[in-house]
Amino acid sequence: MSKTIIRTKRSQKEALGPYGSLGKVLGELDDRLGMAKAGRTFMDKIFPDHWSFMLGEIALYSFVVLLATGVFLGLYYVPSQALVTYHGSYAPLEGMRVTQAFASSIDLSFAVRGGMLMRQMHHWACDIFVGAIVVHMARVFFTGAFRKPRELNWSIGLTMLILAITNGFLGYSLPDDLVSGTGLRIAYSIMLSIPGVGTYLAYFVFGGNFPGTSVIPRFFILHELIVPALIVGLVSAHLFLLVRQKHTQFGGRGRTETNVVGSPMFPVFIAKTNGFLLLVTGGTALLGALAQINPIWQFGPYDASKISYAVQPDWYMGFLDGILRIMPAWSFHNFGHTIPWEVTFPAVIFPGIVFNLCYAWPTIERLYTKDNNMHNLLDRPRDRPKRTAAGAAIFSVLALLFIASSTDVIANFLHVSLESVLWSMRALVFIVPAVTYPVTLKICRELQAVHDGGKRKTPNVVTRSATGEYLATLAPSVVDDVHHELEAELVPTFITADAGTSLSSTGVRSVER
Amino acid sequence: MSQFPLRLRSAVLTGLLILTSSLLFFAAGAHADVPLSSPFQTSRANSGTPKSDHVSTDKSGQVTSYGNSAITYNLPPAALQNLGRALYMQNCASCHGIEANGVPPTGTSGTSSNFPNLLGVGPAAIDFWIESGRMPAAEPRDVQSKRKRARFDHTQAMAIASWVNSLHPGLPLVPTVNTTGADVVNGASLFALNCAACHTITGGGDALAAHTYAPSLRNIPGYQVAEAIRTGPGNMPRFTGNLTDAQVRDIVTYVTVNIQHPVNTGGLGLGGLGPVAEGFVGLALGVGFLALAGFWVGERND
Amino acid sequence: MTEHRTPVSLTTVSESAENLQPLAKNPIAVERRIAVLFLAGMLLEVGFGWSYWVNSPSWILGATLGGGLSLMGIGLIAWGKYLMPRGPFVEERHDLASTSDERDAFAGAIIERGASVVKRRKVLGGLLGGGLGVFSVTALFPLIRSLGPLPKGSLFHTDWRKGSYAVDITGHRIHVDDLSIGSIVTVFPEGLQETNNGQAVDQTVLIRISNENFVTQKGRETWGPQGYLAYSKLCSHLGCPVGLYEQQLKMLVCPCHQSMFDVTNGAIPNFGPAPRPLPQLPIYVDAAGYIRAQSDFKEPVGPGFWERS
Repeated sequence: MSKTIIRTKRSQKEALGPYGSLGKVLGELDDRLGMAKAGRTFMDKIFPDHWSFMLGEIALYSFVVLLATGVFLGLYYVPSQALVTYHGSYAPLEGMRVTQAFASSIDLSFAVRGGMLMRQMHHWACDIFVGAIVVHMARVFFTGAFRKPRELNWSIGLTMLILAITNGFLGYSLPDDLVSGTGLRIAYSIMLSIPGVGTYLAYFVFGGNFPGTSVIPRFFILHELIVPALIVGLVSAHLFLLVRQKHTQFGGRGRTETNVVGSPMFPVFIAKTNGFLLLVTGGTALLGALAQINPIWQFGPYDASKISYAVQPDWYMGFLDGILRIMPAWSFHNFGHTIPWEVTFPAVIFPGIVFNLCYAWPTIERLYTKDNNMHNLLDRPRDRPKRTAAGAAIFSVLALLFIASSTDVIANFLHVSLESVLWSMRALVFIVPAVTYPVTLKICRELQAVHDGGKRKTPNVVTRSATGEYLATLAPSVVDDVHHELEAELVPTFITADAGTSLSSTGVRSVER
Repeated sequence: MSQFPLRLRSAVLTGLLILTSSLLFFAAGAHADVPLSSPFQTSRANSGTPKSDHVSTDKSGQVTSYGNSAITYNLPPAALQNLGRALYMQNCASCHGIEANGVPPTGTSGTSSNFPNLLGVGPAAIDFWIESGRMPAAEPRDVQSKRKRARFDHTQAMAIASWVNSLHPGLPLVPTVNTTGADVVNGASLFALNCAACHTITGGGDALAAHTYAPSLRNIPGYQVAEAIRTGPGNMPRFTGNLTDAQVRDIVTYVTVNIQHPVNTGGLGLGGLGPVAEGFVGLALGVGFLALAGFWVGERND
Repeated sequence: MTEHRTPVSLTTVSESAENLQPLAKNPIAVERRIAVLFLAGMLLEVGFGWSYWVNSPSWILGATLGGGLSLMGIGLIAWGKYLMPRGPFVEERHDLASTSDERDAFAGAIIERGASVVKRRKVLGGLLGGGLGVFSVTALFPLIRSLGPLPKGSLFHTDWRKGSYAVDITGHRIHVDDLSIGSIVTVFPEGLQETNNGQAVDQTVLIRISNENFVTQKGRETWGPQGYLAYSKLCSHLGCPVGLYEQQLKMLVCPCHQSMFDVTNGAIPNFGPAPRPLPQLPIYVDAAGYIRAQSDFKEPVGPGFWERS
């Protein structure tokens, strides 16, 4: 008798099991990786759906756009301050001796196909990246998502904000144009101003006196390799903690401290989040196509004896420029040394205070509220008036300082004198937070007192009777109102451990899913 | 006031009257001798003086034109002087005086540096102020007269310049810039070094100290750029021997070609205001729109 | 083969449960609309490819790329939101913290095992710690020190010397008859106008404010020959070039943060964040009429730093 078994198509198919050839492939993978259990758990993970949780995704996806466009730019940009003669399509630079960094950036914009789009997408994505981080951080702050067990994630996120701001500054200084070069000079002077070690720090970072020839190549390595590597590492840690601790959620129907209500990772969340990735990339591309940003050819190459009026740093550095403008000229120098307080305080100490305050905030709040419990439910900002008011006040100061970085533009626009704008800003920097705090406090308390405040209200139907009397009745609720939420269910197919197998002999518990 | 005794009231009023009139008297007296405007002086060749490649004089020996291949300076025609005098008396004498020396006609009160001495400023200065519309001044008390639609056409401006110049000849004469052969690369570099510090690198202008401002360069004809550079109107520095005619021509060409027709291949120029405008667009349009999209993607609380 | 797998049983929620239904009232219509979005997106991406091929302007490249991705993104989001199971679904949060038994086992493993090692080899542990500690400090040396030279005294002087000719950016020596009253020119020591250091450190503004010798302060009687004044162009606040001169106000304004310096009294700042006057360069007019420096600046130029007294 022959050992061969005749296999028909149908019997072959049946032999594969209920999930066909794909199931066989997954089985083979599981033999080698053992990932079926973990993969299943991962796919069942529930993500709460509130719209404010999308803000972090904007940051994440704009970072992805930055990485992708950055790779393109890195293939053409030359990080060198050696002088070359520019030959290209932009007439006012033709034959000019410029640095290779500047020349390669101009070529990227005019000679490389798609280069202008990539450069502009990269720069717009950076502005959006930092903006989204700030907005996301504000959401986390005002809803109290930084509390136990997520203090570490808060610190990681804050570090990423600092790295993102730094990388943005490093990045827009790379083309070595007149506007960003002025920013480099200011950065050099800020380093100089640090008491004791300032001159050494400046000389070490720049390789000598300003401008030197080392700063562009060094900034390039920092901008392209070191800082992005740090950010990628921190983002991975940030997301890992998010998955491990699960996302927070607002309180509401069926939501408790010990569950998560929302959509499962696969397929719903994956679909929505990848759609959002496409939207962020597409939106950045549209901005890069239609809105010009950083036209370095109009600025010309950097020359230490040239300068333009009305220059500011990119918006996320604006608060530093603002406080540098309004700081009075107080300099200590009667003891044989100089502490240029007019620089050291605004540019070194003030941001240090702000960021350290942010790092310390979870601890400060824990000490103040004496609350050591785990929190997986979020606060509505109005329910924590003091935290909301404090955050609003700090934010208002930073926003005011950002506005103060364009004192000359404001004076020009409003036809008032430069001096009056500056004095107003000096006064406002104290008045604005002093006003914001109590006003926000009051608004929160008022909102708390409003019954059903912020909830979707059922409309009233107002009718008039024949005798002229107005009657208001509740409108009939629409049964298929899109936002009418159902009772939360478990994920479709779930697994329970067989009876008697809850604790295996090794003492490791088995998890009920 | 009506409760106070009549005597006291009249005493106070008389005192105030004496005080005010003595102040006016002092002020009027203080304006008695106004210094001559500082002369246009440079010994450098081809820098806006008759020490140029070519000079022409008329029968009486007065220089009527000079210059080189970059810029030619011309004296306004003498035939226009009568017209100029008439226009001047009607429109300018009330502030600048009937002798154009900044001493207003007797009887007018209040004097200050707003009524400058026009003797010796040169025809180019007068033409600049008139053809850019800054003169006649709409508001003489303004710290800086605004550019507006010119009240006089080119011939009338030349006429006034011709007459005032005839009282006390000055330099420079009215320039005509020849942009052929201009080195726009050199112009870009000189613009960044000399002009961008006030007018910004994109030529948009901005507010300066004490209510003064550097005007936008985006709508100014080339010869006015040259006049402004050479004469230094208002608080603008005067570029005499520090820029040759060839350099001024290069700057004028750069301004009229590249500042006024900027290459904006990246998309909408956003006003050339720099990172401030870009930040607003990035935050409001970029983050704002994407946050709104997130509002659609996600859910809201009940 | 299958023994290591946890014995479990599979239970399923009914297929007809409401949470599994799509949110859309008419899924077929929504599906069609999403299909249109995807198709339009695909066509735009084809458009992107084509416009790249024919080297279209950047805005067309970006509009097609961005439009296509955005439409596909909107379609995908709509698919997830309206056509997939509407939910919501719930999962339990399990205690993040381990049980107290597990914690004790963990802590015990570290402390007791670690203690046993160190207790027995205290000297070794201490020496290893010391060695690694020294290394962690000395490892920073090349990372920091090799980056650049020591500043020493280089921030205290510029390249201006006794007799240096003042030249403009083209190398033209400034002559005393060159400038009118109200003129300003940026000058450098001759020969250095094209060098990094010349532009960054030596840059000086030369202003003519009168035709007679001008004295700005006591002790500077010879520094303003025939109305020429020379000041360092480096702002004493943060080092920006102070190129903005208002000739009637006789004021230098720094374009960066609007510090205002009075040219007539030694560039003392009377507004803004700058703390010190701009150093004045002592100049003279030589026999041939050229503007030359009497010496270097009498104080360090530029912004403040610790070693500056």
